Amino acid sequence: MHELATHERDIVPQLVDQVRRFMAREVDGAAIDRRGVIPESVRSGAASLGLFGMSIPEEHGGAGLSLRAVCDVISEMARADRSVAIMVGLHAGLGTRGPVELGTKAVRDAYLPRLASGEWIASFAATEAGAGSDLASLRTRGEVVGDTLRLTGEKAYVTNGGFASSFTVLARTPGFGGARGHSLVFVPRETPGVEIGAEEDKLGIRGSSTVTVSFDGATVPLDHVLGTPGRGMEHAYHLLTWGRTLMSAGCVGTGRAALDAALAHVTTRRQFGKPIGDFAATRLHIARMAARLYAMESVVRGVADVHASGGSLEAVSAIAKVFASEGAFKLVDRALQLQGALGFLEGPGVARLLRDCRITRIFEGANDVLLLRVGLARLAAHDVPRGHILGVVPAPLRSAASEVDGLAERLGEVVADVRARHGVTAVRHQLVLQRLAVAEISLYAATNSVLGASSEEQFALASHATDLLIEEATTSLDALSRADADERRALAMSEVLYAPYRDGRDAPGLSP
Amino acid sequence: MFDSLTRHRTIALLAEIAEIEAQTLRGSERLREDLGLDSIGSLELLATIASELKLDLEVEDAMEIHTVEDACVFIDRQYRAQHPELYACNA
Ligand SMILES: Cc1cc2nc3c(=O)[nH]c(=O)nc-3n(C[C@H](O)[C@H](O)[C@H](O)COP(=O)(O)OP(=O)(O)OC[C@H]3O[C@@H](n4cnc5c(N)ncnc54)[C@H](O)[C@@H]3O)c2cc1C
Repeated sequence: MHELATHERDIVPQLVDQVRRFMAREVDGAAIDRRGVIPESVRSGAASLGLFGMSIPEEHGGAGLSLRAVCDVISEMARADRSVAIMVGLHAGLGTRGPVELGTKAVRDAYLPRLASGEWIASFAATEAGAGSDLASLRTRGEVVGDTLRLTGEKAYVTNGGFASSFTVLARTPGFGGARGHSLVFVPRETPGVEIGAEEDKLGIRGSSTVTVSFDGATVPLDHVLGTPGRGMEHAYHLLTWGRTLMSAGCVGTGRAALDAALAHVTTRRQFGKPIGDFAATRLHIARMAARLYAMESVVRGVADVHASGGSLEAVSAIAKVFASEGAFKLVDRALQLQGALGFLEGPGVARLLRDCRITRIFEGANDVLLLRVGLARLAAHDVPRGHILGVVPAPLRSAASEVDGLAERLGEVVADVRARHGVTAVRHQLVLQRLAVAEISLYAATNSVLGASSEEQFALASHATDLLIEEATTSLDALSRADADERRALAMSEVLYAPYRDGRDAPGLSP
Repeated sequence: MFDSLTRHRTIALLAEIAEIEAQTLRGSERLREDLGLDSIGSLELLATIASELKLDLEVEDAMEIHTVEDACVFIDRQYRAQHPELYACNA
């Protein structure tokens, strides 16, 4: 479990090592953050290492690496700089999976070699100003005109958009499928009618390009529709499974950078006559950081295993995304706290990590919304086996495995109760769904942590991670039993709080 | 009569949620791919129908519904099973 495929066992560690050296030598994260741009030399360096072609099949000039291998590379990049990792990760996932998996032969032959070499960089444009979490409300339209598709509309927050040569665009295409049919369309930047907006000024990942892209009658041949015309929404959700997994891998890299920084600090900073790392409270923080990081990595590897065995990533990639993004933020916040005042200054770099990783809890599915999906998926899952791992683990992990089995059983009982009480109306009980999801995520993370452990050090990390995760799951399931009361109380309180803002104008608020 | 009642309500609610004209909906249209309803949207639909028609619907069953016609047939079947008193006079 969690192993690289045999044919990748030699090359991937070598590539990861090359990437580590490249990032150390060529990438100045602080300068990228200050200037808000990734230098051209970094892009060309990444291209010459073959990073833009990692996930593109060999027949189109790429390396055809597995999702697991690409995760390892992205994680290593993110450990050094998140903007650069996102540029490559977005290209490898959301940017190119469309043409790779769904493109017509014409599209694959014409564009994949350029995308693999890094001559072209890819992006993905689904979000609009009025359609974020609610993607189905998007307005960009594609009209069939002869044997072409004519696009009109505006996309927001397009990562890589400032320098991308291609856009995978999600548009309404009433001409295909039903009245609300959507299609995914591959649009080269050179297409007349494609306009790129100014760079957004952001809190973090300041080197990552984020722009608005508008399509004013931009027309592409019909064979540029990716996958089945009219099934764009389904295809977009499929591409997002790659996007979320790679983003989770990036969060593992950020978490590792946070742990590195914390370790370096607590072993050298002295207060009260000794290193602050010698205090029991600090030791516990560090142990918990390491355990959570191990669990995050185990989850990402678990998702890659599911992919390698041909399983669906829809639910597990959402689990990974929520767990890894929340985990990375917790780790960075803890590292900053351990650095004290120094952590609050920009110089040492943890402050930048905090700014950089903040977005991961929002993009590619805001975590509050993904929790609803994870909760629903758990309610809907038929007979999915959970737990039952006690019999398959080595002796040092028996106690952790038995705790995992216990959690699986309790969660199973809660799920049965929620189904019986709410049926389909569970969808209306957001707090129930989210609290269920937190427990489901903890269970998935603990299971992967225990089953993936294969050394003494990992046994210790897995046991510690299990304690942590069981604690979180238990708190969440306890809270689930009072979800209805919490919902009623929040409703009453929020109605009072919202009242002065409802019709806006004179309400107190932030000045523009 | 009841078949057309449940069908009518199902289609009306679907049209409302998908923001399109009820007359333009076809039975073969798929909730996710053609109407843009994701898993939450599909369940919202069934939850609304469940409340309106006083039905207990299971989440697992909802996952088996892919098209407008599936939804109509499913709701009708559930309605008949859960409100047998309304059909008794037909026997
Ligand atoms: C730096 C950056 C890069 C991005 N890159 C891309 C890209 O490359 N391509 C692309 O297509 N998009 C991209 N995005 C957009 C991103 O995916 C969206 O911002 C994200 O999906 C959330 O949408 P939103 O911002 O409109 O938030 P909203 O949908 O407005 O949600 C805001 C908050 O409302 C709450 N909320 C919303 N819906 C619900 C609900 N149903 N139940 C409970 N709570 C809810 C949640 O707390 C959520 O966090 C990027 C965004 C940023 C900032």
